[in-house]
This record gives sequence, structure tokens and C-alpha cells, in this order.
Amino acid sequence: METWKEFDQNIITHSAAHHLMAVDDLIHQFGYARVSDIARELSITRGSVSISLKPLKEAGLLLQDENKHLRLSERGRQLVAAIKTKRVLIQRLLSSVLGVDPTQAEIDACKMEHLVSNATAQRMVSFLKFVESDQDQARRFRECWAAFDPSCAPSTNSCASCSDGCMAERVGGTN
Amino acid sequence: MARLTTQEIVSELNRAFAEEVEAATRYLHLASAVRGMDRLLVEKFLRESVNETIQHAEVIGQKIRSLGHVPQLEIRVVCPAEPLTARAALRHALTFEEAALECYQDLLRKVEGDVPLEEFVRSQIAVEAEHVAQIRELLAE
Repeated sequence: METWKEFDQNIITHSAAHHLMAVDDLIHQFGYARVSDIARELSITRGSVSISLKPLKEAGLLLQDENKHLRLSERGRQLVAAIKTKRVLIQRLLSSVLGVDPTQAEIDACKMEHLVSNATAQRMVSFLKFVESDQDQARRFRECWAAFDPSCAPSTNSCASCSDGCMAERVGGTN
Repeated sequence: MARLTTQEIVSELNRAFAEEVEAATRYLHLASAVRGMDRLLVEKFLRESVNETIQHAEVIGQKIRSLGHVPQLEIRVVCPAEPLTARAALRHALTFEEAALECYQDLLRKVEGDVPLEEFVRSQIAVEAEHVAQIRELLAE
């Protein structure tokens, strides 16, 4: 598996996702988006914005008119909508279900939103629908999860999840 | 248009300062990223551009100091480890040089009426416009 290499090939990097979302936000706020507005919104230079926008224009995600006003193409709009939805989804999953601190959940969702595949996001939607439903099993699931003791008692050796050593220890403390 | 306060002018100048420092860093990277015989064509121009943009940054820094402030620098430069042709390097340079030129053109509109500052920005525009024209000429586009 050389999945990590795909990250380098992916045109939608973390930075690209933020540029596209900035265009979307600015259009909603002011009706237009220019390089200078994006630079201000993201607190970076215009040079940086122009360079980052180049591959996005070449990929047909962004369009620029003769007044240098930028807008998202249909594909760009779909992509931004998907990224924004994934952010909300991940945030809810981390915060409401797993109990991660909301601020941390927002930070982590921001890191993952552009990387999660549509297939995984669909499963997340299904899982959230189940967990947040009124079904008896879902209610029991929520109760069991809330009452679950994650400590490795009586010892890490008896933990079924960590056959290769304690995962909780290897993950590291909170940061 | 209402006149900008000194603080607002300094903020605008800090943005221009960041554009110049970032451009210098990018030129330095481009000068190293061009591979093969193409280096003979553009290396000298790119290295001279490093010095030129640093000089531009110094002029901006001086202007900020003359307004009683210290330049504030916030940049984020990511230059990928990709070999470049001379043409690709120049296209890249044209992208960020045009952005810097637009930054000064916008600033000129904002300082209208403040004659000394207007003159200062105009002189920066002249220098930047010349640099952009030079790159366009090299690209023959």
C-alpha cells in the first residue's frame, strides 16, 4: 500500500481546499472573490494565492472573468460542498459520538475534511444516522458507550483490541 | 475616499513587504530548481531578481520605519521539489510578480491624495511593471 503517495498527487491539498472554500465564502458574502480578498481572508500574500490558484484553474475548478473575479465551476462547487459537508460530519462524529473536545474536533475535522473519500463519508453518515436515531439498539449503544471504561484493566495483556501492545499508550497523551 | 490612518498605511505596506520578501525566497528557489541547459538561460536573471526583490523589500521597510513603525513580516512559502524548465520558472515568476504589481496598484488607489505616499507607490509600480514586462518579454507572450 502506497496510499501516502496519493496525498502528493492529490490536487486538493489542505491549502487548496481552504482556497476553494475562501472563494465560496467570499462569493456568499460579497458576490465576488478576487485574489486580494482571498489573500486577506487567509492572511497570506497575493503571490501565494496566485500560485495556489493556478493548478485549481488548470483543473477546471475555478474560473476567472476579464475583471479578474473568481468563481467556482460546477465541479468546484460540488467539491466545496462535499468538503464542507465532510467537515461537519467529521466534527459531529468526533464531538457528539466520540466525545472529543469540540475545539479539538473542529481542528481535526479541518485536517481531514479534504482527505476522506466519499465512500467513507457515506458510511459515516449512515453511522451517525444510526447512533442519533431513536431505535432501541441505538439508545443501548449510546448508553453502553457512555458507560464504557476504556482503561486496560486488569492488564494490557488481556485487551482484545491491542494484540500488538497497548494502542492507547502508543497513540500518546492528549495534546 | 477617506484618508487611511497611519496604522492602516503601515498594514498595507507590511503586505507589500511580505510580497517582496516572499518573492525573493521564491526566486531563490526557482534559481535552484531549473535543471539542465535551461540554467544557462535564466539562472543569472533569477539570481539578480533575488537581489532586486530584496532591495524592493528594503525600500518598503525603510518607508515603514519612516512612519515610526517596525515592519511586521508574516509569510508562508512552500516551494515543491520539482525540476523546472526555464519557461516554467519564468511563468511562475510572472504569476507572483503580477500579484505584487496589483498589490501596489491597489495601494495607490487607497493613498490617493497623500502626495508623498502616492509618489512612493507610483515609483514602486514603475519598478514592478518593468520587471513584469521583462519577464513577459523573455517568455515572448
